[in-house]
Amino acid sequence: MASTALLQQAYLAHRDRLLRFVRARGAGDAAEDVVQELWLRIAAAPDPQAAAGLAYMMRTADRLMIDRYRAARQARLRDEAWAEAQPGLADNIAPAPDALRTIAARQQVEAVEQALAEVGERAAAIFRRHRIDGTPQRDIAAEFGVSLSTVESDLRRAYARIVDIRRAIDEA
Amino acid sequence: MTPDQPLHEQAPHEQALAWAMAMREPDFADWDGLTAWLEADAGHAAAYDEVQCALDDADAVLAGLSEPLAANDNPAGWFSGRRAWLGGAIAAALVLALTSILWLAPQGAAFHTTAPGETLLIALDDGSTVQMAGGSRLAVLGPRAARLEAGQALFTIRHDEADPFVLTAGADRLVDAGTVFDVRLAGDVVDLAVAEGAVIVNPEAQALRVDAGERAVRRDGRYRVTAVDDAAVGEWSRGRITFENASLAEIAAELTRATGQNFTSADTITRLSGSIALAEVRADPRTLGSLLGVRVSASGDGWVIVAE
Repeated sequence: MASTALLQQAYLAHRDRLLRFVRARGAGDAAEDVVQELWLRIAAAPDPQAAAGLAYMMRTADRLMIDRYRAARQARLRDEAWAEAQPGLADNIAPAPDALRTIAARQQVEAVEQALAEVGERAAAIFRRHRIDGTPQRDIAAEFGVSLSTVESDLRRAYARIVDIRRAIDEA
Repeated sequence: MTPDQPLHEQAPHEQALAWAMAMREPDFADWDGLTAWLEADAGHAAAYDEVQCALDDADAVLAGLSEPLAANDNPAGWFSGRRAWLGGAIAAALVLALTSILWLAPQGAAFHTTAPGETLLIALDDGSTVQMAGGSRLAVLGPRAARLEAGQALFTIRHDEADPFVLTAGADRLVDAGTVFDVRLAGDVVDLAVAEGAVIVNPEAQALRVDAGERAVRRDGRYRVTAVDDAAVGEWSRGRITFENASLAEIAAELTRATGQNFTSADTITRLSGSIALAEVRADPRTLGSLLGVRVSASGDGWVIVAE
């Protein structure tokens, strides 16, 4: 199909930049693999025209790296939780990953709710428009009848709270 | 603290936040700037990872957080108020679903229906299988596309990255990424549980990724993702059903579909979690009473469930 050939062309044109980006993101030796996986994602994209853009490819690469980080992080947290829960026990007793996961999921919901409650209703609503609906900041400003710098400062506070509370959970 | 301001004066963590915020803008274009910043210091990538992962998880929570359920549990107002943004996604999904039907019509869609209490195993041409639960209706639209029209089915899909299997369930498009998954449709509640691989929900809209061991339930237009025991996914096909925070009315409807006996409950408030072996219930519906801590009484040709 012609669109696939164009997509491949676009991917090859951006490949060096993508590779450099995932290396900078910490992919190390796996950088080539990540970029290969990226191609599979792009090739399967529902809209080849959008997928041919650099922004789409970069965002997809960023997402792949977030997923890698999350997988490593979860494995680490699971190991730590297991080690704490069962000091000195032989590892022939299966841990309860589901219970751990359920607790982690619940904690996560509570953390987000807490963070957004702390920054206030407007900042929470703006954060949602920005993150979930993907609305540009200037549109959000018009919608809420506030200045662009107010939107920025609301977002900055919401971002910081989300990340801080998450860090507090991890360190607990 | 946008990336335009002197970044070097802020801590890496602050800079990472600023970049995460900036790149979220739909028209963000400074990818080389971001790369250069990441390369500038070994600590930058770690800070950025931590920030992006926390935000991404928060997104999943926000996207899944349902509005508080109304007392009458009535899923009205899908297209109204602050859920209006979903309208576009749903419209897009409908258009796509429609396109696939028209497109595949020459090959002919095959429709399968099961009566309550009945199950049916369908083998697809590519070696994938679909096991349908009772009281369900499935349209197989082509080699890699199907539509669940009612009820529940367990999909074991042979994965093909270049030609993903697409299931339409209600208004949602579920795209497999190497997968065993179970989908249940009840009214406009879509309940997806993944046992192996992953499923992407509405790739063009929310693009919510549901991994093995996760369950995504959409009520009132929003998805909530929770953990699920992956061994329990599709266990109805092995004669067992599990409820998680389900109302008695929902449990009654499930039991009707699974057993072929008629269960009803008017109670949409009392919510229960638990797992039931169906053989026992089929043999004697009254055992539900002790299993769930509810009262079960015979009424006409069926059984009525009320809270204890």
